[in-house]
Amino acid sequence: MEQNLSRSDISVRKTGESTFLWFLKLLTGLLVITLLFIHLVVNHMVASEGLLSYAEVVAYLSNPWIALMEMSFLVIVVTHALLGTRSILLDLNPSRAVLRIVDVTFIAVGIVSIVYGIWLIQVITA
Amino acid sequence: MATNSLKKSPGWFDVRRRSAGMWAFVLNRVTAIGLVVYLFIHLVVLSSLARGPQAYDDFIELVKSPLFIFSELLVVIGGLYHGLNGLRIALTSFGVAVPYQRQLFYVFLAITIIGSLIFAFRMFTAV
Repeated sequence: MEQNLSRSDISVRKTGESTFLWFLKLLTGLLVITLLFIHLVVNHMVASEGLLSYAEVVAYLSNPWIALMEMSFLVIVVTHALLGTRSILLDLNPSRAVLRIVDVTFIAVGIVSIVYGIWLIQVITA
Repeated sequence: MATNSLKKSPGWFDVRRRSAGMWAFVLNRVTAIGLVVYLFIHLVVLSSLARGPQAYDDFIELVKSPLFIFSELLVVIGGLYHGLNGLRIALTSFGVAVPYQRQLFYVFLAITIIGSLIFAFRMFTAV
């Protein structure tokens, strides 16, 4: 119980999670909040109708700064999501072999998701 | 090997007779899992953009249904809680406001509830 309390109140590194990954999870979390706020403000200012039509999405992403912001958002949110999921899986005390499979899978999923997202933006704005 | 790992599940999701701190932790976990699932569904669904205007506009008509709006509301509630609780965790992890973390949890929970009600009202009245 005491262990659960300390774990719940303060983010601590776990076995299998390096200081770098722990810090990256925290940093990307803060960046997600920041970029989400910017995303919502820009979205509201540029696309007041809420991107509810294809034409509006194309116009929105045609601005290179907005496209860059959306790509950055994608990279950061995918990184945070995968690091967070890895963190949850660490609670199941996986063996080194299982953790290696998880790491390789998550890196592959992360790369595919980011490349796919960037490709999608390129296709829409082409 | 994987089976042995899974047998050691800590049962963190059982919040019966647990403290506010444990509730904060479990809610953070549940919202995290929900948001990760949403993120990847969102990425897959956005592939309709690559299929052209008709496919995207048809999809938008579908998401205007009350069921989809309710699902989006769940994402907003999860995002609000996870973001605010994440701020609390970040602050306390760096030694900021540690004596007030319980109060912070209740304040952020109140903001989540109020924010969710405002979003719910706006989302359902905009239909």
